Amino acid sequence: MLSQPQKIRVKFSKTGSLKFISHLDLNRTVKSAFLRSKLPIWYTQGFNPHPKTVFSVPLSVGTASLCEFMDFRITESVSGKVICDTLNSVFPEGLRAIEAYEPKTKFHDIGWADYEIRMEIADAASHISAVESALAEPIVIEKTTKIGTRTVDVSEYVKTLFVTEENGELVLRVKLCCDTMNFVNPKYVIDFIAQKTGIPGEKDDYSVCRTAVYLPNGTTSFL
Amino acid sequence: MTLFMMQKSQKRNGGYFLKIPERILKKVEKPARYTGGEWGQTVKDKNKVDVRFAFCFPDTYEIGMSNLGVRILYHVLNSREDTWAERAYAPWVDMEACMREENIPLWAHESGDPLKEFDILGFSIQYELCYTNVLNMLELAGIPLLSKDRDESYPVIMAGGPCTYNAEPIADYFDLCMIGEGEEVIDELVTLYKEHKQKGFNKAEYLHEAAKIEGVYVPSLYTPAYNEDGTLASFTSIYDDIPLKIKKRIVKDMDKSPFPTKLVMPFIQTVQDKITLEVYRGCIRGCRFCQAGVVWRPVREKSVEVLCEQAKTLADATGLDEMGLSSLSISDYSCIDHLTDELLKWTDDRKISLSLPSLRVDSFTKELMEKISTVRTGSLTFAPEAGTQRLRDVINKNVRKEDLLRACRVAFEGGKSQVKLYFMQGLPTETNEDLDGIKELAESVIHEFYQTPNRPKKAPGVTLSTACFIPKPFTAFQWEPQCDMETLLEKQRYLDEKITDRKIKYNYHDAKVSRIEAVFARGDRKLNAALAEAHKRGLRFDGWDEHFHYDEWLKAFEDAGIDPAFYANREFGEDELLPWDNIDIGVTKEFLLRERHRAHAETTTKNCHETCNGCGANHLGGERSCCPSLKK
Repeated sequence: MLSQPQKIRVKFSKTGSLKFISHLDLNRTVKSAFLRSKLPIWYTQGFNPHPKTVFSVPLSVGTASLCEFMDFRITESVSGKVICDTLNSVFPEGLRAIEAYEPKTKFHDIGWADYEIRMEIADAASHISAVESALAEPIVIEKTTKIGTRTVDVSEYVKTLFVTEENGELVLRVKLCCDTMNFVNPKYVIDFIAQKTGIPGEKDDYSVCRTAVYLPNGTTSFL
Repeated sequence: MTLFMMQKSQKRNGGYFLKIPERILKKVEKPARYTGGEWGQTVKDKNKVDVRFAFCFPDTYEIGMSNLGVRILYHVLNSREDTWAERAYAPWVDMEACMREENIPLWAHESGDPLKEFDILGFSIQYELCYTNVLNMLELAGIPLLSKDRDESYPVIMAGGPCTYNAEPIADYFDLCMIGEGEEVIDELVTLYKEHKQKGFNKAEYLHEAAKIEGVYVPSLYTPAYNEDGTLASFTSIYDDIPLKIKKRIVKDMDKSPFPTKLVMPFIQTVQDKITLEVYRGCIRGCRFCQAGVVWRPVREKSVEVLCEQAKTLADATGLDEMGLSSLSISDYSCIDHLTDELLKWTDDRKISLSLPSLRVDSFTKELMEKISTVRTGSLTFAPEAGTQRLRDVINKNVRKEDLLRACRVAFEGGKSQVKLYFMQGLPTETNEDLDGIKELAESVIHEFYQTPNRPKKAPGVTLSTACFIPKPFTAFQWEPQCDMETLLEKQRYLDEKITDRKIKYNYHDAKVSRIEAVFARGDRKLNAALAEAHKRGLRFDGWDEHFHYDEWLKAFEDAGIDPAFYANREFGEDELLPWDNIDIGVTKEFLLRERHRAHAETTTKNCHETCNGCGANHLGGERSCCPSLKK
């Protein structure tokens, strides 16, 4: 038994069916997995005990991720490996614990994230240059927030890493700003490309996956 | 669906097979309804099983996932090595539109394979208003609607659940119906299917053999004939070696009946995200409007030991934090205190709260409430069903006003300030005086609140919810007419105007919906045509306000040459051959008739704990039952 509950951070991936569940439902899914796991999770002491789980930057429904984080507390010392193995034995497929450790950073230290966008379009290679030049222009998007819709130039918050063709798919990797004030949803970038180049068209399937997160400098990996 | 599309949609994604194009999943509401992949689902190698079965629930995923019957039967069939049982639900209208536009056939959640490729589809028919969804699901699956149009290349379509006690209005669409409890019969039907499949499947032969299994009704093997006035004249079978009267199946020993050891855990919130412990089947009460209380007879209890073991197993396997005790009248369970004490020994430590379904006021105690006080809701629900003692005697509710007020006082002393009361309107013999009684009862509850010295410091509130009476087969009221629409609406208006106290909230069910339900509840085979017309008009999700179109239903009846009043608003003759007289539920027609006459004489009948009223269900046998002369 620890004298004080110890904070634990689990890095996990959210893919497959799991990418279609909302933040709230992820919370429910994790909550029941915790109870199945019988790990010494710390619960709030109130009338309605619950594990105080905090998640990193929320993902849009439909977006997969290889680098999500959740923080919670444990009441007994357990190794990171045991935590991961135990969670993976009770997580549904699509939710995988990758690493568990005592965190040194806060979630608001996250500044940037990489996204991989894969479009299933005919003649993918032929669209590469069009997409590249679209992204070289000022990226002006319609941003809808609580205060309403406004037109913003987000160019300085979008960095194109590469555009290529892979297995017949058009693959695009971008680094987007993640801080609360200037958060760029990958959907904005896709809509912008679609508006400029016509791809992905309405019937073209595409998938989005968050592949890495960084500190505000954009190069040091967040942990 | 073209081969190209199949390949596209079956692409691997993060170690997972997604069955439908992602852009569709990104477009629809609650995509997790359609992806499958939940914790606890059963996945097998389809090449290593003999029989592929899909449970089809003709309503949304959220409702279907909460159904205990399907949970049990999913477990029963997947316990067989030779069978893989999967799940399918009615897609919501946004997904349906996408499926129709792109020719995506309805699929099963586990494998993502189209339902058409399955051996057997088993529909769970819980209420009349989902009939159109059954037709819509078959159509979306690319399967002909009528049993006679389906040859060996299509799956066998089965039905089970409460509505199959009168399956006549849907008889043309199903190859066979399971009458009664399905745990054993579904196993036998799958075994028989496997035998027939191995020797070269012939549908007619299979159905003929299946009809010999107790509890199996094959509608196509029976022919009804009608009198000139539209009533049933006779009901004959086309073979001599199948029973003319189909006896319902029951599980004799509830302790030995199969129960799931894990549950499929939905990603999204469903109607009941809790462990449901079925405490006993049947009911000792005998309310005269209630079908469930009759068709589940005889009463058979599970023992506390078995219940506790099942509760622990499921708590470990699911990680759910709520456990609901389920049965028709939970406080009538002979060991309710023992059971709740045993469960409470460990549920708190496991952060699990206990919940109980609506309670009878005569058995609601302080002790019981304290045990469930961890439940988050601030309100309690009671069901007096009728406003005056006279009418409560007619329906044999056997609850007095004093009981209700005492129960409310217990609730108020326990810190509750909100009470929900359920009533029925349009019950046989009901007058305005009985409606006044509903209002007066609500006022008495408010008064009782202010008479309770240690009441909570909140404003009291009573919510009245009234349903329209629907005569159901196998009840003492099966012969009674439903009030016509105008009368039902008038009753609702009357009560609405009477209630002036703002602490009393009055909600009522849509009378139009209740009327359609009444038509199908007491329907015969002629209604199959009306259902086809309704389907043609695009009706589905009739149980959902936004998709219920009464006028379209009336047109569907007209086009099929059906007078809905013949079914809903007609008093059925006591000597009339009823469409469901071909089903033997154990309880006899003579008993129901006796009860009907007692109702009109305003005479109550004692419950099964007090005396045996000779309903006939004891002939079915059973263990841990209260029937005195139970056949062993």
